[in-house]
Amino acid sequence: MLNQIGNYSLYIALLSSIIIIIQSPILLNRNNINISGRIFSLISIQSLMIIISFIALIIGFIISDFSNETVYNNSHTSKPFFYKISGTWGNHEGSLLLWLLVLSIFLLIFTITSKNLSNKYRILTLFFQEIIILGFLLFILFTSNPFMSLFPIPNEGSGLNPILQDPALAIHPPILYLGYVGTSIIFSSSLAALISGSVNKSWAKHIKNWVLVSWIFLSIGILLGSIWAYYELGWGGFWFWDPVENVSLMPWFCLTALFHTILILEKREMFHSWAVILSITTFSLSMSGTFLVRSGILNSIHTFANDPSRGVFILCFLFILITLSIFIYFFYQNKIKNNFTKTHIVSKETAVLVNNLFMMFFLSVVLIGTVYPIFLEVVNNDKISVGPPFYHKLIVPFLIPFLIFMAIGPNLNWIKDKTNKINLQQLLFFILSIIISFIFLKRVGISYLFSLPLFIASFFLFFITIKDFSVKKTNLSQKISHFGFSLFILSVLVNGVLAKEYSSNMKVGDERKFLNKTIKFESLKVNESKNYQSLEANFKISDKKNSINLKPEVRVYDQPQTITSEADIKSTLYSDNFLVFNILKNDGFYNVRYQIKPFMIWIWISIILISFGGILSIVKKNG
Amino acid sequence: MKIKILVLTIFYFIGSFNLSYAANSEKVDQISKNLRCLICQGQSVYDSQSDFALSMKILIQNKIDEGKNDEQIYDFLKSKYGEWIVYDPEINKNTVLLWVLPLILFVFGGILILRKVSIK
Repeated sequence: MLNQIGNYSLYIALLSSIIIIIQSPILLNRNNINISGRIFSLISIQSLMIIISFIALIIGFIISDFSNETVYNNSHTSKPFFYKISGTWGNHEGSLLLWLLVLSIFLLIFTITSKNLSNKYRILTLFFQEIIILGFLLFILFTSNPFMSLFPIPNEGSGLNPILQDPALAIHPPILYLGYVGTSIIFSSSLAALISGSVNKSWAKHIKNWVLVSWIFLSIGILLGSIWAYYELGWGGFWFWDPVENVSLMPWFCLTALFHTILILEKREMFHSWAVILSITTFSLSMSGTFLVRSGILNSIHTFANDPSRGVFILCFLFILITLSIFIYFFYQNKIKNNFTKTHIVSKETAVLVNNLFMMFFLSVVLIGTVYPIFLEVVNNDKISVGPPFYHKLIVPFLIPFLIFMAIGPNLNWIKDKTNKINLQQLLFFILSIIISFIFLKRVGISYLFSLPLFIASFFLFFITIKDFSVKKTNLSQKISHFGFSLFILSVLVNGVLAKEYSSNMKVGDERKFLNKTIKFESLKVNESKNYQSLEANFKISDKKNSINLKPEVRVYDQPQTITSEADIKSTLYSDNFLVFNILKNDGFYNVRYQIKPFMIWIWISIILISFGGILSIVKKNG
Repeated sequence: MKIKILVLTIFYFIGSFNLSYAANSEKVDQISKNLRCLICQGQSVYDSQSDFALSMKILIQNKIDEGKNDEQIYDFLKSKYGEWIVYDPEINKNTVLLWVLPLILFVFGGILILRKVSIK
């Protein structure tokens, strides 16, 4: 029953999509027609249908309707209620339906909020957005239908991968998708603005909100993924340069560049073409991300789909969209206003160009590092791995000038700043940064002195962004985001330099000395939970002053049978105590890994600050 | 006096042994962070607790004890398991584009910007 509801509503949505695509060119030629009429009702019907099908799938998961193949493959009656719901998008079919849901809801919001803009622009945006929706509908209905029926109906499902049964990961995909899919609106509207010849101030003003919204969701989505990786994968790291992580980082770089460019377009009517190119690129990257993850060609912990026909479909779809946009770009490029004047080398405009240059560089490092191994394997069958050392070697040297530029750039004036004035204040802060970094690194250990320039640059940015709070010239949201970024870099660096790790094989009752602390394996007990058994250890970490207890777990899930280790983490403002243990084959011994991670919490806080700056900017403008 | 010297020397030896041991195990960590665990999904040898990773760490420790330096150890592993095992691909004719392409793009972008700005 639910399967039929889901299927039929998707077909109705498909039909509305086709009608809109056919009708919009006709409407385009009639100038004074208001689209709030028939097209608006079609879009509403479409969204409603997709919402219904999504709800049908959620209900299928909640009541464990195993006549549905997706539910059967990814759920189990013993699963907690919350994870039954999150199981809806914890799989290939459901997550695509979520993509589609966000696509159509965003389009609806766009139509409602763009009423005061020109009809031509709105209809064209609708047109391109509907092409994307149509592509996803076809993809879902013909290669990854979440409403396939099973007969005879099985009694029990095969369960959700336990590693995905986690609160942060349950909301991670929807948040990330809001970011990815938000870029589709940017894409459609930039093409529409290009064709209707309205790439200008008011377009920039309008699309800025969408850029910000996508950027905020993407940032928070990435944050949630990192937090999850930190405590669930049990390695104590938070970023592994895993291909799927990279895929979410690429549109982030692009969006950050786009946001800065849009600001210039809004204030100074410059960089029109570049803004359009960035809009197209951002969405292409989001789509390629979906393609790379869904096709299963990446060797990654995240891959949960492995079907070549799906990959081929997305690849073709992506190819069509990109070709279409390149074609449109070159065909309508001459409609873009070309009032280009050279910007002065010391000005805010140039600073934004430099920001863009660095963003594009970081993007290209991540992009090339991610796809190069795939191409190499196809071309001459050589398998290589590109991992953290590669990214660090290429990104770190460029990070140093980038941080210094970021400190100076926002304080420059528009058009032309004074060149002959040496800013005494900045110079003082720079000298202060040199002294502090040197003392800090010398205390940590002489072997870290090679990272001195990096520390100087990040301390410099840190001081300048703090100082900027006292300057009235720039707006508050920018200050918060930039300060957040400097805090982020600094916490990551300090964390990297000061982190301590101890690993040993221990059995119950053992005691080990590490630095000035004693690690005692006090006890071990077995717990029964609804859908797993767990082995809970109790460790006491004590130094002269105080002691804490850490209780990591090893969980054995029965559906499907999987062992996961759950780290126990005690966070304070200064540092995290992180302990994880694993079962070894030798009797009674467990592998114990204890880590002290200074300023870990500040990494999360800083990303929240970065995103908060964006939120503030939206709220302030509309409030 | 002699006893004092004896005690000191013993302590010195224990101390230096500890130091070199610590340095060695740190070296194992350092090397194993750069190696892919071949039977895992996107994990390094360092992070993994699989049998493969554990035996790999012992292998690296043995090589260090034999007095091999980092490069020799990487070369040995590459000849045994292929380029795929290292996360840090060396520059050769296959990977030169991987390393150089981002740099070329940066220079190219830099030139573009320089052409768009005026110095006066």
